[in-house]
Amino acid sequence: MIRTSHLTSDSAACCWIPLFALRCETARRPELASQSCALLAPDHPRPPRVWQVSALARHAGVKPGMTVSQAIGLCPSLKLCEPDPVHYDERFAQLLTALAGVCPVVEPVELGRVYVGTDGLERLYGSVEQIIEAIKRGTRNAERGTETESSLACSAFPLPRSAFRVGWGRGKFVAWVAANRARPGEAVIVRPGEEGRFLASQPLGVLPLDPDTYRRLRQLGIKTLGALAALPEDAVVSQFGRPGRQLWQLAAGRISEPVVGRVAPEPIIAALTFFSPVAGRELLELALDHLIVRALKDPRRSGWRVQVMRARAELEQGASWLVETRLKEPSASRERLLAPLKTQLERSPPAGAVERLAVEFTGFAPGTTELQLFARDANAAARAGRRRALQSAAEEIKLRIKRPMLYHVIAVQPWSRLPERRYALIDYET
Amino acid sequence: MRHETDRLRALNVPQRVQVELDEQRRPRVVMREPGNVKRVESLGENWRMDDEWWRQPIVRRYVEVVLEGGGRVVLFEDLITGEWFVQT
Repeated sequence: MIRTSHLTSDSAACCWIPLFALRCETARRPELASQSCALLAPDHPRPPRVWQVSALARHAGVKPGMTVSQAIGLCPSLKLCEPDPVHYDERFAQLLTALAGVCPVVEPVELGRVYVGTDGLERLYGSVEQIIEAIKRGTRNAERGTETESSLACSAFPLPRSAFRVGWGRGKFVAWVAANRARPGEAVIVRPGEEGRFLASQPLGVLPLDPDTYRRLRQLGIKTLGALAALPEDAVVSQFGRPGRQLWQLAAGRISEPVVGRVAPEPIIAALTFFSPVAGRELLELALDHLIVRALKDPRRSGWRVQVMRARAELEQGASWLVETRLKEPSASRERLLAPLKTQLERSPPAGAVERLAVEFTGFAPGTTELQLFARDANAAARAGRRRALQSAAEEIKLRIKRPMLYHVIAVQPWSRLPERRYALIDYET
Repeated sequence: MRHETDRLRALNVPQRVQVELDEQRRPRVVMREPGNVKRVESLGENWRMDDEWWRQPIVRRYVEVVLEGGGRVVLFEDLITGEWFVQT
């Protein structure tokens, strides 16, 4: 396998903030910190189910996955919160951006859990302990958005205790297990050669097990990774199939998955040529909106949020216009991207009529795969299904007759007195 | 770096037609293409439009007509070039 050294790393630091979404919520609403509270699952609208549960609620017996009625039955004072996935994702994106400032090899896994590749960082920061300190320092500001400050602000500590747990080891699994063992604000380091001994004493729960496999292993009397690794590999495979082999290899420390960073995409450009020069601001705003939507649809943008973007125009008589905007909060939302460009358009409009307009995304911040989790609700799935069907039909048509025959009708100047200026066709993007 | 340009295709673009006029300069016969000649059965509303005088003036005289066979179309005469177009 060919690896690009700067994008993969065998040594990994797993940075983990458990209950990330709930922490974001309590940081925003400090009164929740002293109550039994739980977040509702974003992908289970009917019947609503509990997603993340505070310690107080857990003590009362509330568990993730319960229906709301079960949870209220166990804990009548339970405060239920509607989830705000966009807010959690923005917070996590800030954390990722901060981590990317420490090391470019960053691999987000889920909200609150991310791997940082640490190969080569010793030259920059020193020992493993110093690398971990650098990670903590770098992420301190981003982490504050997940902390409740009021309850501890007047205590002996100027800042609340960090919830950030770090595990360091060779490969992602060892790093994850180490982070799992770490106390809040602390780190567990598994030095090369110590993996087997470290993993042997760990409970089965650290493995990526489905409930049925977990139950069967427990029934067989296997409680630790060491007990699992002590079994013959073939016997585990014959019982649990291919997933069994992977579990055995993880338990025995035979798998060392590297951290894989992602290359930020090249600039994404969407452009539009008007059939007659356009001077009206409303029309230019409409066109910017359309171009942002198109640029967002670019497959290379997937998994990335836009941080820097430009709008540029070719004007009549060869002049040009350019504005650039850097978003404080990286975003993949059409409205959020359009707003600053509209403001710039209002403040410094083009000096003449526009013949060609382009939107460029030039700076990106990593997003998370968690967003896909949030898109799992039935409506989103139905929309995605329809879109996929339409896209596949459009691709088929293009393939068969060599021309795109599907178009969007867009309002260009619906108020124009000239009928041919009011509406236009634009290629349907597949 | 990828450059992508979409060209907008205007809808309802005027199509050139040949129009035969009567003595009052009202359309009498419309020929969209050779062999497709239709007599004007009746005339509807007519109106004039002036636009873009600050750039390249557009001056049109629109006439709504019903052609033989019952087809209703909107014609206009470009008063700058004298050409006739059909536009629904």
